[in-house]
Order: sequence, then structure tokens, then C-alpha cells
Amino acid sequence: MNPQSFLELIESNQYEWANTTNRPGQNRFDIDVADGRLLDAVAAVTGLCDCYLVAITGLDPGVESGQLWVLYHFAHRAEVATLRIILPREMPIVPTISHRLPSASIFEQELGEVLGVLFVEPGTDDPVYHSRLFIADDWPEDVYPLRKDFHGLSEPA
Amino acid sequence: MTTTQATERFIIPIGPQHPALKEPGHFEFSVEGEIVTNATVRLGYAHRGIEKGTESRNWTQNMYLLERICGICSHIHSTAYAIGVEQLAEVEVPPRAQAIREIVAELERIHSHMLWLGVAAHDAGFDTLFMYTWRDRETVMDILEALSGNRVHYSANVLGGVKFNLTEETAETILKGLEFLEERTHHYRRVVENDAFFLKRTRGVGMMTREDALRLGVVGPTARASGVDRDLRNDAPYIAYNEFPVQLITLTTGDLEARFLVRIDELLDCYRVIKEIIAKLPDGPLTVARMPRKLKAGEVISRVEAPRGELFYYIRSTGGESPDRIKVRTPTLCNMGSVVTQAVGHNLADVPMILVGIDPCFSCNDRAIRIEGSINRRHDHLWSWSDLRQYGIDFYRRQLDYSGEINT
Repeated sequence: MNPQSFLELIESNQYEWANTTNRPGQNRFDIDVADGRLLDAVAAVTGLCDCYLVAITGLDPGVESGQLWVLYHFAHRAEVATLRIILPREMPIVPTISHRLPSASIFEQELGEVLGVLFVEPGTDDPVYHSRLFIADDWPEDVYPLRKDFHGLSEPA
Repeated sequence: MTTTQATERFIIPIGPQHPALKEPGHFEFSVEGEIVTNATVRLGYAHRGIEKGTESRNWTQNMYLLERICGICSHIHSTAYAIGVEQLAEVEVPPRAQAIREIVAELERIHSHMLWLGVAAHDAGFDTLFMYTWRDRETVMDILEALSGNRVHYSANVLGGVKFNLTEETAETILKGLEFLEERTHHYRRVVENDAFFLKRTRGVGMMTREDALRLGVVGPTARASGVDRDLRNDAPYIAYNEFPVQLITLTTGDLEARFLVRIDELLDCYRVIKEIIAKLPDGPLTVARMPRKLKAGEVISRVEAPRGELFYYIRSTGGESPDRIKVRTPTLCNMGSVVTQAVGHNLADVPMILVGIDPCFSCNDRAIRIEGSINRRHDHLWSWSDLRQYGIDFYRRQLDYSGEINT
């Protein structure tokens, strides 16, 4: 496979699930995914070649935005395609992609614990992860350290 | 009676503190007899709040914070960060600085792989190999100290370049050390390939096919030992890897023996590439003329090949002196899932070797947050920056006598 062709393949398609696209660098391509279309987007991107999920980044753009962002980074050699989904801050629920990509499981679990994104079975409201992997067992519920409005605990955990 | 015992299932908890590794992690292995039938993992015992901590520090301070994610691969963390920040700042690091960064990165890989070789030998019950490798590892630690003044956190990078030059005298020290290490590494390869007792612990143990490695998202030497031809030094050359490329080393057998051999062959290639860089080290400055203190808004991705595999940084700036978000994805996080998969079907006694086969680093893995107590109360676990600073001043004042010399 031509080293450039992963992003060229993505760029050459007119995806109905893509809200906007952006090419921030020679080896990068960002796509904002339409609401509820994450699984379609992941299926389309991973079906193009033997790219792999490098990481999932969770991001809090600020309380006033009312949003949380989740970025799925897929790589092939030097190239990285990022799928960005925007979730409502008050109800950040997203379907798991771990059934398609088992490597996503540990990334999702970490993100759920530190940013409060709830990963559910596709098409349901059933949470996928029921126990903690990273955060201490005595850490309070509903406190997510990577949110911008978290400035430390007033009482010991 | 015998039948009942054979079919009875037990869950054996191991860790967080356990003799197989010097870092904390908790595993639960379901066993039927001696055979592992299921495994789960619990991480997070070394959380330090580093990603959150970056948001309240400036770009320069974060270099030193991120370097402390890991004591073994400190340089590669700061390199990944520096590359990303320099991209945001739109500065071009001079070639000599990039070459010195690569020298330190490969010295660090030698340090990491030799440390791992010793730990893995120890877990196999081969303590002679452990002691020899750790004795010889001192050579590369001495080289790093001669180069940087430090054995562990070398602080080679600054934003926009490197902190120290490579003098002729230091180059001589490095070459002499590498000559010794190369000879020793050939010896280790013969031992790992031929020692009948050691092979009982490694050959055919912890098998992972290429398909499994890809499915589980495994990275680094662990993946390359299963035939996955990925190495960011080749795939997406950074710092000076375009000018001084490395050899891609893969094996297809996918067992523990292959993981040993891939890392040992990588050691040999490290020696080769460092010698090549020293022979052709570019002239020129060590840093850019000016590195801006405030950066424009934007987001960058930085990917490097750490000793354990692909290390990923996502850096977001909203403009200003501090980042809005720094995400770190370490190789151990990718490889950890493979341990529980590989363990199933093996004897419980093989589990420590399977775990150590991925060269796990819990310090790299656990970064999120753990805050206990108030920062104002004395004797709490959490100290403020000013507490720490004052403690350091008091500590060194106590070590000084009136003549100003340090008491030993």
C-alpha cells in the first residue's frame, strides 16, 4: 500500500456521516462525525486498509461549551486520521467500538473513568464497563479529574 | 476425588505487590488445576495526576513533568512532547541537536532493553544472566551520566534543541562502552538461543500470532516478535532517523524466545546507529535562536518509538503559556490486554514470564490522578510546590557545614 494512500482513500470518499473535514498537516486528516454515526465512521475507516486504533483522546473544551469531545485516532504508517465526536456534557453517552476493535476496550475504560464518558452496548443504554481499571476504588462517584471544573477534592478520597 | 480436583476452579489473586515485578499491578487468574482459564487485570496503583498537572504548568515546566512519567524511558517522553510543541511553535530544531537527541534515545533503548533482559532472566529463575546483564547495564548508565550528568532523568531536551553538546572526549567514552556492550550482547544472544533450561521457559511459551497481535493492538518489540512490521523510527522518521535510519527487526515465531531475540537484535542495531551518528555528527548550533514562550492555538499529534513501542502524544493549545490538554498513550497500555489473552491455556507458573514478556511499565501506564488529604496540613501525603521547595532548601542546608562543603 502506498504510504500516502490511507488518507487519500479517506479524502476521496464523500461520507454521509462526515459533518466537516480538515487536513491540519501533511500526515493528518480530521473528520467531525455526525451525531449517532460513530459506528458507521469506524467501520468505514477501518475497512479501508490495515490501519489501527492508536489512541482515544477525551477532551473537555470548557464548562461553558456544554460539550465533551472524544477523538479516535487511527494510523497507518506515518498517517493519522482522527474521528471527532461531540457529546453533550450532561449526558456523554457513546456506543463502544470494542466489539469491532478489542484494543479500544482499555482506552474506553480509561476515558470513562477520567472524563465521565459512558460507553454503552450499541443500540442500548447498557453500560459496558462495571468496575474500575485505573481510578482508585475509594474515588467518589461522578467526579472526573480531567474535566475543567475539577480542581481537587475538598475531602480525602 | 482426583476428577473433582481437576475440574474445580480457583481464582488466584496476584498483586498489587508481588515478587514477579517491582511495580504494582493486580491480576486475578482463574485456574483449573495448573492451567489458567481466565485472567483479569486492575491497574492504576501508580497514578500521579500528570495529565491534569500539565494544564496548570507552562510549556517549559511540562517538559520536566512529562519526563518524570517514567524513569526508564524519560528521554522519549520529553522528545515526544518537544516534537509536538516545536511543531506548534513552528520552529525547526538544528540538525546537530536532532542527532544528539537520537543518540540519547538509542542509549536509552539500550538501558531499557538491558534492564528488561535482566528482569526477564530473573523471572525465569536464571539469576546469573540477571546479574551479568545488570552489571553490564552500568556501562550505558555511566555513558548517560558522562553525557548528561544524570543516570536516569537525563534532561537532554529543551524546547527547540538539546541542553548539552557531544564532546570528543564523551564520544570516545561512548564508543569504548559500546564496544564492550556489543561483545556482551553477542554472548547474551548465544545464551538465550542455546541454554536448554532457559529455552524451556521461553520457546513456544506465550504464543501470539500476527493476527492476534494486530487484533489486540500490540506495539513495539512485542508486536515485532509476532511479525508485525511496525516501527515508527522507520514508518514516520522523527528527529534524525531520516539521516540515520535503523533496521526494522521482526520475527514471526511470536513466542517469548522471539521477544528476547528481537530486543537483543535491536540492541545490536542501537550500537551500530550510535556509532554511525558519532562518525557523521552534523555541525551547528544546539538550539533554535528563539523559542516562543506563548504558543498559538492548535492541536498536534506526536508519535515516537519508545523502547516498549509506540508512544503517542496529543497536544492542544488554546493560545498562551500553558497547554489546554495533553494526552499521553503509552505502549504498556496497548500491550497489557495481550497478557490476559496469552495467559489463558498456560501453566500458572508461566504467567510471570508472559507478563514480563511485554516489558510492562506501570509508571508509564498510570498517570491519571490520585489526590489525598489537604495540601495545607503538615505530614499529609500531598505537598504543595512551596512545601517541596522549602524541604529541598532545608535538606541541603542541613548537609552543609559552615565551610560550605557537603557532609557525606
